[in-house]
Amino acid sequence: MVNFELRRDRIVARWRDKKTEWVIEPRYWRNSTIAITCLFILPLFLYGFPHILTMFTTANLYAAIAIPLALQLLGTGRVNFGPQLYLGVGGYTAALLNLHFGWNPAMTLMATILVCAAIALILSPTTWIAKGLYFSLITLILPLTFLDITYIWGDIFRGEVGLVGMSPLLAFKKVTWNYIAYYYLSLILMLLYLLVCDRTVRSRIGVSMAAVNENENVARMMGVRVDAYKVFFYVAPSILTGIVGWFIVHTFRTFAGVTYLPLEFMAKILIIVIIGGRAFLYGAIPGAYLISIVEDSLRRLGPVNYFVFPLILIALIVVLPRGEGLWGLYKKRRPRDYFPKLHVRRE
Amino acid sequence: MLEITSVSKNFGGLAAVSDVSFTVKEGEVVGLIGPNGAGKTTLLNLICGIYKPNSGSIRFEGTDITGMPSNKICKIGISRTYQIPQPFESMTALAGVLVGVLNGKKRAHMSLPDASLEASYYLEFVGLFSKRDTLARDLNLYELRMLELARALATTPKLLLLDEVMAGLNPSEASKALDMIWSAQDQFAITILWIEHVMKIIMNATQRVVVLHYGKKIAEGPPREVTSDPKIIEAYLGAKYAQH
Amino acid sequence: MSVSIQGSANPMSDLLLQIVIYTLIWGSIYLLISLGFSLICGVLRIFHLGYGVIFVLAAYLTWTFMEDAGLGLVPSIILMILVQCAFALIVFYKGVFQRYLEEEEILLTVSLLVFLVIVHLANYLFPVTAGVSIPSTIIDDIVTIGGITIAWQMIIAALVGVVVTAIYVVALTRTRIGLVIRAISQNLPAALLMGANVNRMYYLAMILSVIPPTICMIMIAPFWGIDPFMGMPLLMTAMLVSILGGLGNLKGSIVASYLIGFIHASVSFVFVPRFMGFAALIVTLIVMIYRRGGIFAGETLW
Repeated sequence: MVNFELRRDRIVARWRDKKTEWVIEPRYWRNSTIAITCLFILPLFLYGFPHILTMFTTANLYAAIAIPLALQLLGTGRVNFGPQLYLGVGGYTAALLNLHFGWNPAMTLMATILVCAAIALILSPTTWIAKGLYFSLITLILPLTFLDITYIWGDIFRGEVGLVGMSPLLAFKKVTWNYIAYYYLSLILMLLYLLVCDRTVRSRIGVSMAAVNENENVARMMGVRVDAYKVFFYVAPSILTGIVGWFIVHTFRTFAGVTYLPLEFMAKILIIVIIGGRAFLYGAIPGAYLISIVEDSLRRLGPVNYFVFPLILIALIVVLPRGEGLWGLYKKRRPRDYFPKLHVRRE
Repeated sequence: MLEITSVSKNFGGLAAVSDVSFTVKEGEVVGLIGPNGAGKTTLLNLICGIYKPNSGSIRFEGTDITGMPSNKICKIGISRTYQIPQPFESMTALAGVLVGVLNGKKRAHMSLPDASLEASYYLEFVGLFSKRDTLARDLNLYELRMLELARALATTPKLLLLDEVMAGLNPSEASKALDMIWSAQDQFAITILWIEHVMKIIMNATQRVVVLHYGKKIAEGPPREVTSDPKIIEAYLGAKYAQH
Repeated sequence: MSVSIQGSANPMSDLLLQIVIYTLIWGSIYLLISLGFSLICGVLRIFHLGYGVIFVLAAYLTWTFMEDAGLGLVPSIILMILVQCAFALIVFYKGVFQRYLEEEEILLTVSLLVFLVIVHLANYLFPVTAGVSIPSTIIDDIVTIGGITIAWQMIIAALVGVVVTAIYVVALTRTRIGLVIRAISQNLPAALLMGANVNRMYYLAMILSVIPPTICMIMIAPFWGIDPFMGMPLLMTAMLVSILGGLGNLKGSIVASYLIGFIHASVSFVFVPRFMGFAALIVTLIVMIYRRGGIFAGETLW
């Protein structure tokens, strides 16, 4: 019926008098379709191992946090050392509203978006006021201050123990179906973020953003509204991260600031962006999967893993090619592709 | 078109520009000359909104643009080039001009391919179409200055501020650049305010010249008259010898 | 920290006296904490996120040398300082700073990761039950000033802070090496052209930056308590002092330390102690709005 032929670099399929070729040379543009299909059919092989499915769900969520962070790096041109602040803000908003007022997940989603947008707008002047290194420092301190606040007002935030028992997004009768459903939901969330951020970077907004990144004063002289761009590229990724917080609350049904706000978590996310390739949005996905698998395997070692894990992260940074990371290993960059220089100190 | 009235700017104790007034009429090419440190680039920065003048006002086509932010000034119709070329180094020449096309003027939503087409038209006008995919850091000085010109033209200006376009170019490149600027002025009907040191260009290209010295305007008039004024020769101590 | 307010005739003046004393004490201690950080920031122009390592290493290395190697207090301290200098030069300077000078975000992240490794290693090797402490109390007594009782150790720690800072300031302003360091901090290319041996000065700066936090740790160990995770709050204090005073500026650090000491003292004694850190952060943010770059903006050492 359908004849398949394996040539040196392609698969040829013939049906009657029609012929299709499928090129399997590496770095081929259809590889993304292959990769996404693989990710979608993964649960078929893993439905008996809910533990591994949870690991992949966590990996998807890490990637979903790292992708807006990478977009923010490109857009504001500064490194944000505290992306997990909005994770905490979004998560606590959703959790508190759900527990104390009984709002269902759809309503808490709206509330999360509004609260994150409000706080991001209030903090957005730091993008154009704070010169040089100061923006990065302030973003470093803010999540730790928020963690302090959760301890101070411990009766609301429940400090270290965290909030438990929020209503789930879905509840199937068979528990395995829950795991599979959450995996698919997190996968769709991550791919949606990837799509949105990719379209933004490849559009008119992306070109102007690259210009602002290169030379702010010249871009301003050419008519780009620099402050508006900086605020947009601060607020939008923050809202996206807040939505991930909402997702965590309603998927895992527990939320403790102490898991997501301290420096260890921030280091994990930053490493995902750096290892994945700091100028490539796609790189966050292999980075997230790698970190998640490493973290999960190390967890079996017991309390040793707390200091072995950062050691392995350092080793990964040292070994992988600078700036281009994992994605750079895969993708052959054309000379005319835009590869931004990230300035940590920016005037 | 452009009216500068008693503009002054101090940096700390230094009076970079003090009480300068002149006008530029539509369609003119006005030269701005003076020894180094006379405040010419500062004046340009004041017009462009990078600095705010301490006193005085700048009006463009009747609107007061003193202290307006630079992006609004660009949308009103003023563009500039830079003394030391400042391209977007990691972006290709096409991308650099593309930014100007997309942001230079209030347009209805222009799609990226359409904007690229218009950007490539500007590149072809200055002669850089073959270099459209080279990164700006790989272009030589002449190409960089042409890229600056293309970028400035892409924002469809009514007034173009040129800052020492000829510095560093050899004579053949300089004459090519001059032809380019003339055809730009013809084709796009722009007014030009030109800072320049090369006297030959000033003689050929400009109709009127304003001379600054230590931040003050000391003369204004047609180029030949101004450069044979003994006061100006004294300020420059070389203008008389520069008539080549 | 044992402080007791004995009932006196005028509680208001007691409160003021308390605030003044604690401003001075905490200010001097914070100054000692941030001295090394400002030095690295001002001279090497690198934001040393791994600075908290110095505190952790100081405490735990001294403990190891005293317990496991059986050395006395003073030899342990000397050996610990040597190991610290080696660690700062080899791991941080050669391993991290020189490799990633061009990619600053990787530099900051790797410094932070080294900090996390050391902290969790200390936590793993010396859990809370190990009872780590450094017997460095000089005078084990308390003193009463006005109506306020303070441990002598705190006053000595504050005095040591002031003395060390004074030594550093005099060294920077009066000696030739201090002149070279100041020149490097203000304008590196010009200093290079004038013949400064920049590499050697950088080594010196790294070593000089290790000493104040080590001394601080030894002095405050008796009353602050040793805990592997204390590196982080101390680093945050140093960072806040630096941001408020101007990154890398010693004058700024001095002013900002006492300012933050004042904020902490007044918030603790007038309101509730748990808002100390939050109040300091709010004040820093407000100062940043009006004076971008801190109180002494300029990013030069003096």
